[in-house]
Formats: sequence, C-alpha cells, structure tokens
Amino acid sequence: MSTETPFVNLPAPAPVLGEGSVGQWSQFSGLYVREILRTFRNPLVLLVTVAQPFMWLAFFGSSFSGAPAGLVSSLFGTNSYIAFLLPGVLSTSMLTIGMFGAMSTIQDKRFGFMKRILLTPTSKATVFLAKALGSTTRGMVGIPIMITAALIFGVHFQGDPLMWAGWFSGLILLGFGFSCLFLAVTASSTDWQTPGVLSNFITMPLMFASGALLPLDNFPSWMQTIARYNPVSFSALLGRGIVVHGTANWTYLGELGIFAGAMALIGTLVASRYMRVE
Amino acid sequence: MPELAIEADGLTKVYGSLTAVDHVHLEVPAGSIFGLLGPNGAGKTTIIKLLTGLVDITDGSARVAGYDVRTHPMQVKQRIGWVAAEVILDDDFTAWENLWLQAKLHRLVGWKGRAEELLQYFNLSDRKQDKVATFSTGMRKKLEISLALLHQPSVIFMDEPTIGLDPSTRRMLWDLISGVNREFGVTVLLTSHYMEEADQLCGSISIIDHGRFVASGTPTELKSRVTADLVELETSQALTPETLRALPGVTDVRTQGSTWILRTTSSEALLPRLFASLQTDSIRRINVERPSLETVFLDLTGRRLDQVGTEVRDYRKFYATMRRARQ
Repeated sequence: MSTETPFVNLPAPAPVLGEGSVGQWSQFSGLYVREILRTFRNPLVLLVTVAQPFMWLAFFGSSFSGAPAGLVSSLFGTNSYIAFLLPGVLSTSMLTIGMFGAMSTIQDKRFGFMKRILLTPTSKATVFLAKALGSTTRGMVGIPIMITAALIFGVHFQGDPLMWAGWFSGLILLGFGFSCLFLAVTASSTDWQTPGVLSNFITMPLMFASGALLPLDNFPSWMQTIARYNPVSFSALLGRGIVVHGTANWTYLGELGIFAGAMALIGTLVASRYMRVE
Repeated sequence: MPELAIEADGLTKVYGSLTAVDHVHLEVPAGSIFGLLGPNGAGKTTIIKLLTGLVDITDGSARVAGYDVRTHPMQVKQRIGWVAAEVILDDDFTAWENLWLQAKLHRLVGWKGRAEELLQYFNLSDRKQDKVATFSTGMRKKLEISLALLHQPSVIFMDEPTIGLDPSTRRMLWDLISGVNREFGVTVLLTSHYMEEADQLCGSISIIDHGRFVASGTPTELKSRVTADLVELETSQALTPETLRALPGVTDVRTQGSTWILRTTSSEALLPRLFASLQTDSIRRINVERPSLETVFLDLTGRRLDQVGTEVRDYRKFYATMRRARQ
C-alpha cells in the first residue's frame, strides 16, 4: 500500500497481511462466517431445521410401526425401522443442502454482492469453498437434532464413539461433495430456479437408487449397480452398519473421501473459470 | 504512488457482436477526480469493470495504481475501492459487521480504529450496531464509501454515485466525494450522466458515447469547444435544411428525429428572424441552449444525454425491491 498519501485526522492505514493472492484464509473465514450468520439469523431456517427431522421420523419412520415385528426384522434386519431409516434419512438430507449454497451464490450475483467480493483480493476459488463449506455446515446442524429425535422415539443405537465419529465424517464428506457439485453446476447461472430444479432432478434417483430408505437386497440388479456407485449409499450403509449392527465398513468412508475430494477439485476448477460475477 | 493513477491504452471490450468499449485511451493523474460522462449504455460501467479486473480485457492495456490489470489483478484490487450505483451492502448485517467483512476480504489487521474514524467522519458512529436494512439511502451510500476507504485505497471507482438520490442528498454526496479526494488523497474515477455533477466535481472529463471517447478535457475546455448557442426546434411545418441554413447567423443545421438543431453565433439575433420566417402557430417546441457540458454532448452526438438510454432504471423502486427480497 502507498503510504505517501496525506491524511487528515485519520490513523495510519491498517496493515495488510500480505500481497496479492498469497493467502486467502482471511477472505475464506470472513465469507464462511457470513454464510453461517446469514443462515442462522433467519428464525424460519432454524425452525425448519429443527422441525424437519422430527416430521421425517414421525411420519415416515412410523409407517411400519403397525407391522408384525417379524416382518420388520426380516425386511430390515432390525425390529426398529427408525434405526434402519435414520442413517438413510441423514444421507438423503445431505443431497439437498448444496441447494442452499447455490441459492446463496445466485443471490449474491443478482444483488451485486459478488462484485463487492471479487473487487477485493479474493479469488473465485475462495468464494466457492466458503459457500460449499457454509452449506455443508448448515446441513450438519440437522444431524444431532435428528439423533435426539430418534432417541426420543425410543431407538437404541449400537457402535462406539470412534465409529460414530467416522460416520459423522462420512456425512460431512457427502454433504460437502454434493455442495461442491451444486455450486459447480450453477457456477454460471443467475436464475433463482436452477438450484431447486437441480435438487429435484438429482434427489429422486439418488435417494431411491441407494440403500438409504430400503434394503438393497430386494432391488433389481440394474438398480443395485447404480446403488453400488451412489455416494448416498456409501454414507447410508456406513451409518446403518454402525447404528444398527455396531460394525463399521470403513471402505465406504474412503469412497466418500474420494467423492468429496473429486467434487471439491472439479468444483474449484469450474468455479475459477466459469463463476459469473453478476 | 505513480504519477498516473489510471492509464489505459487501446482498451477494448467486445461482447459477442457488441463492442462495448472501443479503443479507449485514458490517463488519470494521481489525486485527481476524473469523470466519465455519457448516457446509459455508453460503456461507462464496462470501463470500470475492465479497470478493476472484474471482466477480461479483449484488447489493449490498463494499469491501475501502478499495476497491470491483466497480469496483477490482485495487486490492483488491494489498492482500489469501489462504490456501486445501486448500493451493495449486506442488509442483514449491521454497519459494523459490513466493515468487518470488508476488512476480512482485504486481509486487514488492526482495522477497527480506522473503521471507527471513518464512521465518525461520515456521521454513522451512533448507528454502527444497527442493521443496514434500517438505513436511509444517504446513510447506505456513506457506509458504502466507508467500506471503499477502509483499506486506504489509492483509487476509488464510483459508478453513478448519485443516481436515484434526492437533490439534497446528492449535494451532500458531492461534498463528501470532493472531501474524500481532498482529505484522503484518493484518486476518484466517477461515472455520471449528470452534466452538472461532472462539471461541479471533476478536474477532467471524458465524454463517452457508444464505447468511444468523443471528447476529453477539463470542464472549461470542453465548454469552450461549443462557443455557439444551440437552438432546438420542433415544428408541424415541413422544413428543409436549406431554408434554415439560409437564415442569417445560422452556422450549422442538423436533424434528430423530428427536431432540428441549429447552431448559431447568437440566439438573440436568430430568434426574431426565425419566428418571422415560420408560421408562428406551427412551432411545437423551441429551446435555446447556452454553452454547457450538456450542449457539448448535444453538439458532439446530436442527442441529449437524457434522451439516450430509455431504460433509465428507477433506482428507488430497485432499492425497495431489493430490501423486500432480502427480508
């Protein structure tokens, strides 16, 4: 910065942390905190975040409560459909959280805020990662609420703390991967409707062609093939193994890591090149 | 700081088949206020986007604050501030939080003292913990200028800084802009389609139309280009350029739609002769323009500034919509 400029009644210029694009941490943390504050200052968002898991469990989770216990345990391998369903519902909910990051980005483009950001030494990649992590964080809030709700519904869980930490990591990777995917696909879009349409489009096939809601064993072979490569399955099956049977198949976590890493890489490249300013 | 805060040569931007900015040459001395004057759609905003590295340059070169925009965009961005036409702030955040985010985006440390001083300078100190959504348009503008000054830029770009403001807020802003330039030593490049504004604020001006500079100079130099009065005339009577040119004192005749533009050495001498030669009841409109920046534009382009660009945005409505959408 120039220091020769004369000042009247003003303190010395604030020191800058460095030159050029050397570091982006300050910009990243600022944008990330902005995402979080914007989301959680809206009381409606909080209400829906809290209410939604309860509704899922109450309506969908209870759909087998009148069924004979033998039928439930022969179908799902446990006598609690809620326990079976929980990892699947949490995985499915990660599918749509990317929508919020994409919508927030489109809003910033339309209101010109993206210009305000990109007229500072902030790279498009930084904006992309802050948005992706912001929407992932937003999605994470539902997890403890959902588990609490299941406990209230009287579900007993298996697994040790390490397994649970692994399962949560898997959910975070899944959410982050889909957030990156949404942001990459909508990088050049300024239409409010795009994220919603995209969400509807991918949710249905990925939710049903996975082990999220029903056991894979009864699927036709072509759907089993899709499910085998579907990240929603990785997360649902990892979680189900842990909470229902107390066993963790860590291969799924590795696959989720690859999914998230690939999406982050592709998304960062796409956003750096194609993210529109307005 | 380099002697020239902004320099551009052959600056060109092409969008598909549209040349938005056409080989513009620009030299803005450090510490000055420079005005880009022209109608909506002339390419003013695109020039700002090119100079700030927001869009890619199609051809030509640009240096801002001593750095090449193409090769060192981040260094340029560290040294520039920007004030948008439509006031872009985070409405859900307080004034202080907006400053905080700006400091984060500029990687500033120990910025709070300067932020306090800026709020004080702009009379916003007592509202710093209030959400920006509750601010008046004038206050929002002031906060936006505070954000632009937070990192002590050497150049500030102001895109139509007073558009949509009422006359008293506009005057307040003129004082602030010249104050910012004088007291903070910042070079200001502003765009405007208000002649009066450019005349009042800018040390030098370039008039732009269809992406090209049609004239450049100080306001006085530009006004001295038009020594003649311009008489605009609209009649129901069919006229030919020859009849009008034959009138004594008329040096040039042009037509713009149904309007005739007569250049004359003295409108006082011309008007009685004009009335005498026309059927008086056929005159629909007659207007005499003394030399001003407005007549410079009229003279150079044959159009008035406010005639061009019919899509003048209703910014008040725009602000209101934006606020509602954010709530």
